[in-house]
Amino acid sequence: MFSIQNNQHDSSYLSLVSNVGPFNEFIDEYDPNEAFNTLSNARVLVIGAGGLGCEILKDLALTGFKKIDIIDADTIEVSNLNRQFLFRSGDVGRPKAEVAAEFVKRKSMGKNLSIVSHYCRIQDKPQSFYKQFDVVICGLDSVEARRWINATLVSLVDSNLNGLIPMIDGGTEGFRGQSRVILPTVTSCYECTLDMITPKTTYPVCTIANTPRLPEHCVEWASVLEWPRRFPGKKFDPDLSEHLDWMYETAHRRAIHFKIDGVTKELTLGVVKNIIPAIASTNAIIAASCCNEAFKYVTSSNPILNNYMMYSGDYSIFTYTYSHARKPNCPVCGNHPKTIKVPGSWDLRDFIEHIKEKHDISIGTPSLATATKQLYFRSPPSLEEFTRKNLGRKLSELLDDNEEVIVSDPKLPISLRLLVKLE
Amino acid sequence: MSFDKKLKYDRQLRLWANTGQTSLEGSHICLVNATAVGSEILKNLILPGIGEYTIIDDKRVTEEDIFGNFFLDEDDLGNSISSSLAKQLNELNTDVKGYAVSTELSELLRGPAEFWDKFNTIVITNQVASHDLDALLDLLWERRIPVFLVRTAGFYGTLQLFAKEVNVVETHDPAMFHDLRIINPWNELQEYSDSMDIDTLDDEMHAHIPYVIILIKTLEKWKKENGGKIPLEYSKRSEFKRLVESMSRNLEMEDNFKEAAKATHRALQFSQFPPLINDLFQKVDSQEISMDSNVPIFWIYVKALKQFVEKYNELPLPGSLPDMTSTSFAYVTLTKLYGEKARDDERKFKDEVIHVLKASGNSEADVNHNSIHSFCKNIHFLYATTGSRKLYNNSMISAIMKESNSLECSTLFIYFTVMCYFSFADSLQSFPNPGDLEKFKAFFRNMFSLPSSKPLPEGLIKIFKEVIAHSSQSYHNISSFMGGVTSQEILKVSTAQYTPLDNLYVFDGVHSISEKWKI
Ligand SMILES: [Zn+2]
Repeated sequence: MFSIQNNQHDSSYLSLVSNVGPFNEFIDEYDPNEAFNTLSNARVLVIGAGGLGCEILKDLALTGFKKIDIIDADTIEVSNLNRQFLFRSGDVGRPKAEVAAEFVKRKSMGKNLSIVSHYCRIQDKPQSFYKQFDVVICGLDSVEARRWINATLVSLVDSNLNGLIPMIDGGTEGFRGQSRVILPTVTSCYECTLDMITPKTTYPVCTIANTPRLPEHCVEWASVLEWPRRFPGKKFDPDLSEHLDWMYETAHRRAIHFKIDGVTKELTLGVVKNIIPAIASTNAIIAASCCNEAFKYVTSSNPILNNYMMYSGDYSIFTYTYSHARKPNCPVCGNHPKTIKVPGSWDLRDFIEHIKEKHDISIGTPSLATATKQLYFRSPPSLEEFTRKNLGRKLSELLDDNEEVIVSDPKLPISLRLLVKLE
Repeated sequence: MSFDKKLKYDRQLRLWANTGQTSLEGSHICLVNATAVGSEILKNLILPGIGEYTIIDDKRVTEEDIFGNFFLDEDDLGNSISSSLAKQLNELNTDVKGYAVSTELSELLRGPAEFWDKFNTIVITNQVASHDLDALLDLLWERRIPVFLVRTAGFYGTLQLFAKEVNVVETHDPAMFHDLRIINPWNELQEYSDSMDIDTLDDEMHAHIPYVIILIKTLEKWKKENGGKIPLEYSKRSEFKRLVESMSRNLEMEDNFKEAAKATHRALQFSQFPPLINDLFQKVDSQEISMDSNVPIFWIYVKALKQFVEKYNELPLPGSLPDMTSTSFAYVTLTKLYGEKARDDERKFKDEVIHVLKASGNSEADVNHNSIHSFCKNIHFLYATTGSRKLYNNSMISAIMKESNSLECSTLFIYFTVMCYFSFADSLQSFPNPGDLEKFKAFFRNMFSLPSSKPLPEGLIKIFKEVIAHSSQSYHNISSFMGGVTSQEILKVSTAQYTPLDNLYVFDGVHSISEKWKI
């Protein structure tokens, strides 16, 4: 017989745990006391304290989770305030993770809630940090950070599935979003679906340089061609108003020259920062979906999402739930190398450019090696110098046909195996 | 708009621009019942800066209310729930004004009906006495105020929109097509095309002829060779496409000819009117729409459009031009040509609007240039539908009572179960608990007048069990999910942009799936 052990369990989710429902996958083994214990003791890591992160933190605190950590390296900006509801204008400039944790703790007095905030990048924490959690929920806007945590969580699983930590991932853009449950090495992982991400719009350099037609072309001209020419070696920072002003004015002058309308400051910022539209509503939908999955997973009260749900609200409401299949040649969770066909007459530099551009690989700063030799390494400098001469050499000289090349990137804990077929 | 506001709302202005923001800031939304889902809806509307909101709830805050609601806490116990909620929500955005009404709904319904006219949209959440719900829905239906009814039960959520009609001009239709007038270029466009002698151009310039011109010139050639006929059938269009490609000097090197070939099918399809426009023309002349001083401006525009088409035998040109390989000069010239024709058509269209306004007893002063401009720009993407006042219809009942029910019907089971769950609580003064299954079944049969001879489907009973086992009206993940969904819909209605739900949505949080239905 189930009994409420203490009065901290509030009635909004009490019945969800104490009664077993008809869709429960383990009806005979289900034990409400155990479910409550797991819920109160589960350690959850929330990655990102932005629009999704604020919602996730609130949702977890109100559904019985007691031990939460939140990590984010950002500080609060004015343009966050239209959706990140744990922040007020007085908080601008402070670390997001810290303010969000304080706010929710203050709201939940007497609920025995522990929220630990970490004001740093996820890459700054060691593997041992991640090992202590039972679930990781991501509310990130960066592809790179997601790839990093995904690869890290996959690497923690051994062949008996020990060390498996589910990664529940949410993402939004405008009225659309998606939530997914990744069981590392069991379901498809983040890397398996990399080819589903729409690439950033790019414009051909000849258009930007010679035949601009759109206001965007003028901004690209200012940022891609004029900035490096005028300020060689200086990094453009869109958050510095004098940088942004220069960019806007330069783009605007070019637009006047070519009689093109529509270069505004907002457009300039949108192009240089690749700004994604965002509203509170969509974050609420996706965060709630992620936390509902976390709740069902931890309490075993109902089946969890297998494994991908898309939500779209711009034309009526539409959702699509499906099981995304694992990729056997996924560089993170697969065990087959990926086959790639290239001309043997290419030199190594051509090859590197090719794999940088390939959408399903997307490795920005690759280092390459075969089983027996280093082809090109970016660091340390001595090795870079030593391998640089290979850049101009033909692939047919460097590789046998069907030889395996290992591609790695210092920014990602991934090594991709490529089987190179020479044509 | 001030610089600070622009910065604060930057991420949403990219979705609905200043026009949408202005409409949003002019909107007043009313929430009936200060529930957890209601609080989440308001939060998601206050943050982007809705003008005003009013919470109607006469109850006092109990412990039950605090659970699952982020915007109520222990200090509020015993106080008016609508005031306590408004107090906390007001902190979210100083641009927004919030009001609390601590009067019983039934009393407000006995009062003057004009009370409701100040609201642009009304959201009713969770439990409302059946007769009050009916009275409120009737009243708002007549007054043409859209109503959302949202409910949360355990892992389930339902949302319904009651609106006599929904018309959207700025749908942001993702099908990016452009009306280019390839088949029937107006004089200025024809002259510009004629001014280009493409055979004498050097290779560089030839590779930069805008594809609009390529298509116009190819069509002239085609018509010469085909007795003046236009390639309308699919097979002819494919043949035409090959002709376009054959006019390139080197298809590998000439992106503009590749673009022209790619645009062929769409560009030639524009000889016909979009089917929706013909439907609208029929409707505007039917008995359904009475062209009087109360008619929505949308129908004034449709009537004016019909007259425009009768006079000029074409639609007003939207004037937008897609990006295409071109020299800057040629592209800017084309932009100007399309822009001027669009402005010209807009002026002519406005004259028709004025005629219709006068003929229907409206004032000429009602002419709104921005909305006329937006109507012309979006003429190929208009959306119009009529809604329903009913909570369900007979075909839905037959669907759920079909003996061989497959899984696809499960969200309808959920909808009916959730409806019954709240009626049960309304009638019996408490929500069902796991011992109440038989009672719930009987209540269900009675509520939907089902004969006792017919067994209830297994799948339906399974949903009964789920709702009764996990009986909660404020499980926060569902409150927050449905709060997000509902607020998105209200944003669409308030900004008059994007297409809202038509008209029932059901979310199944057990299986993380959802479906929509039209009643
Ligand atoms: Zn994978």
